[in-house]
Amino acid sequence: MATREVIASGNELAAKAAADSGCKFFGGYPITPSSEIMHEMSNLMPEHGGVCIQMEDEIGGVAAAIGASMSGVRSMTATSGPGISLKAENLGLAQMVEAPLVVVNVMRGGPSTGLPTRVSQGDVRQAKNPSHGDYRSITLCAGNLAECYTETVRAFNLADRFMQPVFVLLDETIGHMYGKAVIPTAEATKAGIKPRKEFTGDPSEYEPYGVAYDEPAVLNPMFKGYRYHFTGLHHNSTGFPTEEIETCRKLIQRLEDKVMMHTDELELNEEFMCDDLEANDVLIIAYGSVSLAAKEAIKHLRKEGIKAGLFRPITLWPSPAKRIKELTDKVKNVLCVELNIRQYTEEVERVSCRLDIEGLYKVNGRAISPYEIVAKVKEVF
Amino acid sequence: MARTVMRFTGVGGQGVLLAGEIFAEAKIKSGGFGQKTATYTSQVRGGPTVVDIILDDEEIFYPYANDGEIDFMLSVAQVSFNLFKNGVTPGGTIVVEPNLVHPTEEDRKKWNIIEIPIITIAKEEVGNVITQSVVALAIANTIMKAIDRQVLIDTMLSKVPEKVHELNLKAFDLGEKYAKEAMAK
Repeated sequence: MATREVIASGNELAAKAAADSGCKFFGGYPITPSSEIMHEMSNLMPEHGGVCIQMEDEIGGVAAAIGASMSGVRSMTATSGPGISLKAENLGLAQMVEAPLVVVNVMRGGPSTGLPTRVSQGDVRQAKNPSHGDYRSITLCAGNLAECYTETVRAFNLADRFMQPVFVLLDETIGHMYGKAVIPTAEATKAGIKPRKEFTGDPSEYEPYGVAYDEPAVLNPMFKGYRYHFTGLHHNSTGFPTEEIETCRKLIQRLEDKVMMHTDELELNEEFMCDDLEANDVLIIAYGSVSLAAKEAIKHLRKEGIKAGLFRPITLWPSPAKRIKELTDKVKNVLCVELNIRQYTEEVERVSCRLDIEGLYKVNGRAISPYEIVAKVKEVF
Repeated sequence: MARTVMRFTGVGGQGVLLAGEIFAEAKIKSGGFGQKTATYTSQVRGGPTVVDIILDDEEIFYPYANDGEIDFMLSVAQVSFNLFKNGVTPGGTIVVEPNLVHPTEEDRKKWNIIEIPIITIAKEEVGNVITQSVVALAIANTIMKAIDRQVLIDTMLSKVPEKVHELNLKAFDLGEKYAKEAMAK
């Protein structure tokens, strides 16, 4: 793939990725530490024939973005944890009507107003289930500057493939750090766009929700003669509300299966210095900006003769269960490092069937340094 | 070149962020790796602000300066000086604005403290207080010799509006002059 070198911040790269992915609408409300995404989108959208609108609040922001998505265009919103809390109800609506949407969350300290300018990974659990009811979250997590671009691009394609919101988690460190990134050219990104499916038959035969048990809805763009109904209620194949027993069961089971039967299309991980790990070595599991500290820690540890490696999930939800199980079966000493308290460790415990996973956690808005990881490894193993 | 780690500290609103971006970008344009991170408080103005700048020929993973590994710090606020001085390696250089920062005798024993009235220079000699980040940039590079002078100037000019190019060049020259004088002492 053709690439280019850019010098930018993570937030700027997420906005650039949206524009290159054919996003034509941004609805949002500025919030630290994500504001630069909206700022950049307000420059990029008019240049790319799109619209960026600052709504009256976070709820209005996501509602406008979902409306744009329903009309058929690629659409995005960006916020931080408090914004996701406010958007939660509408995110549930997007899951139910199957409106594709990219939601970038630049994480800051929480709960509530928390630590507005400080780093955190406290929204990992929230991203899994921001709203009530059964559905499967697709959550991607950038671990360096380049991925702020590539994961946003991937999010747009996955949103159209699975017809649902896709989260891109950045954190304050990744969003605001400024440096070099090697990313695909705009042309390469455009060439990789996989638009959502469209029904091309007779409009009288169009059933947007009448699809196979593991497939997403097929929502045609509006104003092209295909009529259908959107509702947050359980609905039938045309989108109209129903309480018919089998239709209701099949609908919610399909929301589950359309994702969970196709996790192979979603999984993406990085394994850093894991190839030579043996039973008594050290496996560190980290994601997002924490993985940068973990990589430096691993270099220090190896210099001191402690063989360590990093497993970094890039798709956090659904979790890479099989690969985590394989690695945690093989390596005895496992350390999860997170800027929250055990939010992903509990997933690692679940899929590894182990309760002896060690953890290093920080929730005071400060980054975890490589030396803290080195010290923890020496302390617990 | 081995890794150069610098920290610019001030209070919110002083414009120390730009100097960090210019350093990182100039290093990248020279073929290496540069990284800038900033930490600040939720106060709009007045909260302690830190800009960490890491320049290296090898890839940089962790983007913050580790305490104890900082070669150079520049401080234009007492609160920030007090909070962040201990990250500087013993014997490292700390440039302070003497009208705003008052190091103790102990500080002077531990670090190479250089006093340059950065804000006064920007305000009175350059004629615009906003140029203080460029004065600081020139001081840091003159002392640390981190980046080729011309690459740094070109990068700086590419990041400020054209109508203030002359003003910023003047700020850069003055920063350089004061740094050289201070080093000769």
